[in-house]
Amino acid sequence: MLKVTGLRVKAEEKEILRGIDLEIKKGEIHALLGPNASGKTTLGLTIAGWPLYKVTAGEVFLEDKKITSLPPEKRAKLGLALCFQHPPVVRGLLLRRLLEKISPGKEMTIGKELLDREVNLDFSGGERKLSEIAQIIALEPKFVIFDELDSGLDLENLEKLTRLIKERLLENGRSVLLISHQAEIFRFLQPDFVHVMLQGKIIHTSSDFKTTWETIGKYGYEKCKNCPF
Amino acid sequence: MVMKNVKTAHFKQSEKQGSPERSEGGSYFWQEKQGSLERSEGGSYFWQDNNQIRGMASEEGSIMLPSAEAWGKFPWVKKYFRQKPKEGFFLWVKEPISSPLLTRICISSEKIFQNPRNLIFLAKNAQAEISSACWSTKESLTGKHQAVGKIVLEENSKLLIKEEQRWGEEDVVSVRRNFWIGKGAELSYFFRCLETPGELRTQNNLYLQAGAAVNLISTVFAGRGEVKMKVVILLNGEGAKGIWRSRMVSDQKAKISARSRMIANQAGTGHVDCSGLLLSDQSTIQLIPELLNKNKNASLTHEASVGRISEEVLNYLRTRRLTKDEATDLIITSFLGEEEPIIMENRKLKLESLM
Repeated sequence: MLKVTGLRVKAEEKEILRGIDLEIKKGEIHALLGPNASGKTTLGLTIAGWPLYKVTAGEVFLEDKKITSLPPEKRAKLGLALCFQHPPVVRGLLLRRLLEKISPGKEMTIGKELLDREVNLDFSGGERKLSEIAQIIALEPKFVIFDELDSGLDLENLEKLTRLIKERLLENGRSVLLISHQAEIFRFLQPDFVHVMLQGKIIHTSSDFKTTWETIGKYGYEKCKNCPF
Repeated sequence: MVMKNVKTAHFKQSEKQGSPERSEGGSYFWQEKQGSLERSEGGSYFWQDNNQIRGMASEEGSIMLPSAEAWGKFPWVKKYFRQKPKEGFFLWVKEPISSPLLTRICISSEKIFQNPRNLIFLAKNAQAEISSACWSTKESLTGKHQAVGKIVLEENSKLLIKEEQRWGEEDVVSVRRNFWIGKGAELSYFFRCLETPGELRTQNNLYLQAGAAVNLISTVFAGRGEVKMKVVILLNGEGAKGIWRSRMVSDQKAKISARSRMIANQAGTGHVDCSGLLLSDQSTIQLIPELLNKNKNASLTHEASVGRISEEVLNYLRTRRLTKDEATDLIITSFLGEEEPIIMENRKLKLESLM
């Protein structure tokens, strides 16, 4: 479904990603863990085609189609979607209108109160995530990146949102990359594989999330470099 | 009186669902069929083309007349017009009217000088909605439209004005209005100009008595020329409330200046909210909000901002499958509070479904 090979990325002349290799097959959920500023969000945004990041080497493929130089809208049309950690406020634009633009005539998945508000203006943490997920559902993507879905959410809201994701997004073999540095979300969305990122590189990949997380908890991310699992 | 066979008029109005300008339940519209422009149903309206009155009618509960005729017929009108006006309309609303009143003033020939002097008078407890439009029928008629308006709202009356202006690039337009808002009266005034002339100057002075409320919303897209707007709101009575909200976009070499002066002489509340969006390096927007509080129990606030389209917002919308142009258009129309798309093609602003 998604393949990243030897990806190196710069932003404002500073290299952030330093050779990323990643493959996510159809229907798989992958977790991407790492400390702050390790490059997780940059990887998510680069895959989505964020123009401010410059790819200096490597390629990104979606369903075997090279998308490395495609603009974000073309990637979205091919089935790639990004759920933002900090989505921006769009002044004057009602969420209802945005959803209608994304998917005309499609049933809205959230309540009227949120639909009739300006996108992300004075949204609470939960409302922001709900708005993002509603947009992702409207996009009907094949591959979704969730960037820190759990940030700013209490457990109750996190459970509700992950239930919505399971019901509306995880059917039909959709693939997911879940970026986080907290474990709670993985109680609700169990990953098939886990990757640990540090200083712009994936330093560890495993199918054993539990052991990986316990090791990180015990020794910290740095020790993952020498993790035997 | 309805004139037919008007070849130059291309103005149309239709009801739009969901927009702030929408008329709830109204069934009035102009029809353009085989060169004729006529009112499909009854109701008060006034239509001036160049310097000629083309159509006019009064509905029960209101009197619509040419200003010149009203000046001779009603002595009290002289209080508002010292000299006999040559052009423009007089509207006297005596009771609540449910259907919208229409006023249309257009320039359809070259080098016309238009000087409409309008008086709108709402009697105590009267209510009305006015749909107003001023425009030129072609891009380069080099017309001059110099309008003066006097609007009086007596005690507890309510008036909603939805005004649309659309001009050619060589036109020069000046609009000066005074509003007297009586005790407990309410004015909602939506002004929209998405095709600015070479020069547009507007000045609105609003005098509010106790308990009066004004909500003034201005929407301007300037793709050329110079726009100077000034709003003065005087809170002259206790509990008076005044709000001016403006959204302005300037493109190419357009220059916009918006000044506001909110004065609290009594314990009222006033707020000015002005935002500008620049689309080119050659365009400018200047916002000057001024608050003058003369009463310790009054509250005056303002917020003002001028900026460019945010790259972050643009790219965010692109991840939602919108092209760069679609995302830009959505940002601009949303900022202006427009529902209909504004399509920029060959650097020339085109509007779909203007009215």
